[in-house]
Amino acid sequence: MAADDHFAYIFAAELHERLRWFITLRWMAVAGLAVGSLVGPRMGLESVWPSLFVVALFVAAYNLYFSWRLGGRSGQERPLGGLRHCAIRQMVMDLAALIVGVHFTGGLQSPLLPFFAFHMAIGTIVLSTRLMYLIAGCTSLAMLLLYILEENGVLRYHPLDPLHGICSRACYLNMVSFVMALFGIVYLTDSVTGRFKERNIKLHEAKAALQERTEELQQLLDEIAEVEERKSHYMRISAHQLRSPLGTVKTSLMVLTQGYVDPGSERGRKLLEGAIERVDGLLRIVNDLLELAKIREGRNRAPWARGVNLNQLVADIFDAVSPLADEREIRLVPLVEGVAVLDWGIPPDLVFALENLVQNAIKYSLPGGQVTVGLRVTGGGEAVLTVEDQGIGIPEEFVEQVMDEFVRAPNAKAHAAEGTGLGLSIVREVVEAHGGRITVRSVEGEGSTFTVTLPLHHRPPEVEALLHDGNDGGYQTPTGS
Amino acid sequence: MATKTILLVDDDEIFVEAVSAVLEGRYRVITAANGTEGLARVREDRPDLIVLDVMMDHLSEGFDVARSLRNDPDLAGIPIIMLTGVDQVYNVRMEVDESWVPCEKYLEKPIAPDELLAHVAELIGE
Repeated sequence: MAADDHFAYIFAAELHERLRWFITLRWMAVAGLAVGSLVGPRMGLESVWPSLFVVALFVAAYNLYFSWRLGGRSGQERPLGGLRHCAIRQMVMDLAALIVGVHFTGGLQSPLLPFFAFHMAIGTIVLSTRLMYLIAGCTSLAMLLLYILEENGVLRYHPLDPLHGICSRACYLNMVSFVMALFGIVYLTDSVTGRFKERNIKLHEAKAALQERTEELQQLLDEIAEVEERKSHYMRISAHQLRSPLGTVKTSLMVLTQGYVDPGSERGRKLLEGAIERVDGLLRIVNDLLELAKIREGRNRAPWARGVNLNQLVADIFDAVSPLADEREIRLVPLVEGVAVLDWGIPPDLVFALENLVQNAIKYSLPGGQVTVGLRVTGGGEAVLTVEDQGIGIPEEFVEQVMDEFVRAPNAKAHAAEGTGLGLSIVREVVEAHGGRITVRSVEGEGSTFTVTLPLHHRPPEVEALLHDGNDGGYQTPTGS
Repeated sequence: MATKTILLVDDDEIFVEAVSAVLEGRYRVITAANGTEGLARVREDRPDLIVLDVMMDHLSEGFDVARSLRNDPDLAGIPIIMLTGVDQVYNVRMEVDESWVPCEKYLEKPIAPDELLAHVAELIGE
């Protein structure tokens, strides 16, 4: 296992917390060393003053440094690598201080020796086992070197018991058991904690995966909530649009039934006819709402057909709307370049959408005006349909929302009373179902241009799914050409 | 006693027709189809009461009219009955606190004729 993996079990926040705890423990060590340096001479250990005190100052100094390095930011904000280096540095400094302390307190007889064991155990928990074997080896070599230098008189030996000199041969055994203890503790600690480390790693991985899934779910929930919100808003707007004419109808009927107006009188007839007119409007809104819902759900629609010829479609629409254009004294002008054939399309929907646009153009034109219907094919494989009129136009503040449900500009209402405000919404749905987009340019009083761009080679998901199953039997071959 | 005049401002002509029929037996009724026309009629005819639709060309046109009336010391005293088909979609505050609406009465469409007459009578007498 790579060292990095081995480290992985202890994570930044946890490691940071432990390192801070070590700093607290180290202040106790500083206190212990200082007290030892003061008390030692009274007990016959002349060598510990001031040497042990200097060691205490040294430990205090680097503890302050590490405390400063670790302070402030929390563990999560720190890179794990940096914390790990900090842990190794603390370990090396501690062991160095211990070796110096050991030198002044009797070498291999030193009462400080058990603290090596303490460091090996903690180190194996916090750092990687391989690194700890390396540290145990280095510590052993350092102790051996110290022992050799002391024995050969290069370094002065400070005996624990001044009455006795350097412990002769028996100390070789101490050296051996010291080295064995260091390695043994690393090994034992590792064998005890290894399994926990692995479990810890797995737990952490599971936690991370869970966190990721939770975030995905949360995002999904947010999206659903947003859709719900939009739906509910749409429902409220729709209900209001129905409620307004219903209010008028009910008021009129109450006035008639409660005897304020005689139903047979001229006024009575006007109220009744007005009520019928409102009910007709309500029916139109309800039908358009149903139409919109059907397109949105993609259900109960005419089937997708192959090879839909838009030129033919435009010609058919011209035939269909020319009586209306004649009636309103509007000139219809075709402007067709090339032949546009969609790979896939729903002909009745496309007819509905384009007819709606052309009808609107006629409806909001002034007598004597001109409506131009353009069709061309771009090099990028798109059919571009334009419907341009010289009519009343759309006020600037309504241009962007004119295709939203129930949006009708005041000049449109004044010009043509009927209209549900849903036609353009349906057109947009149809265009988008065909993978296309619709834009509008308009200047109030000058006219509007609606531009529908349809990709020729769009393959709708419904067709994709069926073709994938090798079953396209339900689809018609080219229509209208 | 002279017949009192009521100004009815609403852009729905059938609704105007129906409400006029209710009020005409007891009051003189004048009408306007939008806010601007309504304000002009108020200045011209000084009605004793205004029945005002909230939503005409703009969502809160009725409120705008009511506010400008209330800000005019000459006209601020004319009682206003506000009508709406709005079910608190556009103005949630109405439901929460009616007091901020600059009117004496606030009625939702459809309007029951008897109820309307009762409110009118309460404000300006029979």
